[in-house]
Amino acid sequence: MSRLPLVVVVAALLGACSTAQAPAPGLDAQGIPRGADGKPDFTGVWAGPGFVHTGHPETDKPQVRLYTDANMAPIKPEARPLLYRPYAKNVLVDDPTAVCLPNGLTRQIPSPYAQQWIQTPSQLVILYEYMHFFRVIPFGPPNRPHAPDVEPTYMGDSIAWWEDDTLVIDTIGLKEWLLDAYHAEDGGSRWHSDQMHVVERLRFTDATNVAYEVTIDDPAIFERPWAETWAMQLKPSWKILEFICEDNNRCVMGNCTPADVQRQSAGS
Amino acid sequence: MKTARVTCAAACALLAALPAAAHHSFATEFDRTKPVAVTGTVSKVEWRNPHIWFYVDVTDDRGRVTTWGFSGAPPAFLQRQGIRSSVLKVGDTVRVDGFRARDGSNNASGGKVTFADGRSVFTASPEDVRPN
Repeated sequence: MSRLPLVVVVAALLGACSTAQAPAPGLDAQGIPRGADGKPDFTGVWAGPGFVHTGHPETDKPQVRLYTDANMAPIKPEARPLLYRPYAKNVLVDDPTAVCLPNGLTRQIPSPYAQQWIQTPSQLVILYEYMHFFRVIPFGPPNRPHAPDVEPTYMGDSIAWWEDDTLVIDTIGLKEWLLDAYHAEDGGSRWHSDQMHVVERLRFTDATNVAYEVTIDDPAIFERPWAETWAMQLKPSWKILEFICEDNNRCVMGNCTPADVQRQSAGS
Repeated sequence: MKTARVTCAAACALLAALPAAAHHSFATEFDRTKPVAVTGTVSKVEWRNPHIWFYVDVTDDRGRVTTWGFSGAPPAFLQRQGIRSSVLKVGDTVRVDGFRARDGSNNASGGKVTFADGRSVFTASPEDVRPN
């Protein structure tokens, strides 16, 4: 057997080491997509936690999910009115989305609309179908500080890092807003404070399914952080579609504006 | 009218959480204690966000026509389930089951549409009003 030139052997070894540290882009042995940096690649259109996942590419069923009482940490006694707001017959308290104001982060995560994720080694972009919201999330070292001058917003300031193959998204800078879609028939609405810190942890469980853990740390309301674990499913055949809340929003708080055909009918 | 025969798998897959999955709380706009069912002729279809609306002319015994408006799912929900705007046509005779708007007007959520041939689309169950 002929001897291989030294340069070929070294190159092969370097290639092997490189491969061990960062798998080539494409699918790994479990079929999980990986990017050029070897990290799991979340790029694609997803049916988020706001769907019942059937495993079939076309039949996932949209379903609003709420954060569950069973998973919540104890509520600080004085903070209960901050969390639970009685039904007020005021759209800005009961459900501001009825007048096309945003979900806010914690309600957006389980919103029953599609979302498109675009991942590069330096940032993650999430495009939410619902009201066309977006997040641009930079990657960087774990547990690094957020920018010092974050102003409170509906979606907050998010940064991301990797813990092995788990994607971690850390968000602060959230204004006091709705926690979820808890509504009048539940007795009112449910809110979080402007001190809330949200940590999302996402991990592929197979080629198309992701475990989606959301940790709520709201020291103004809860005794300690608590977590909800949901799932999302990749939908290669889906596209995100248009959602324009203001287009034909006819029955705000049950007060319906007559349509032209109704006015004509009433006048005839 | 006898119970509708369910013949359209894609349409019936729409079903659950139809009102609750909307952009707003069902309860702030519609009253689940006030179910309504009308039969009439589709006079207009608005396949628009944030919810489709369609209108049904209902003629009473004296020949007077009342136009009811029904709110359905967002267009994206329907498209993803394979349901396009052509499913409802002006002139179709339909029965619509839903829940009345809180203001008492002739508007309602349109939970279920049943055509003259028995096909039923937009099936929704009352328990779907409330998310789990």
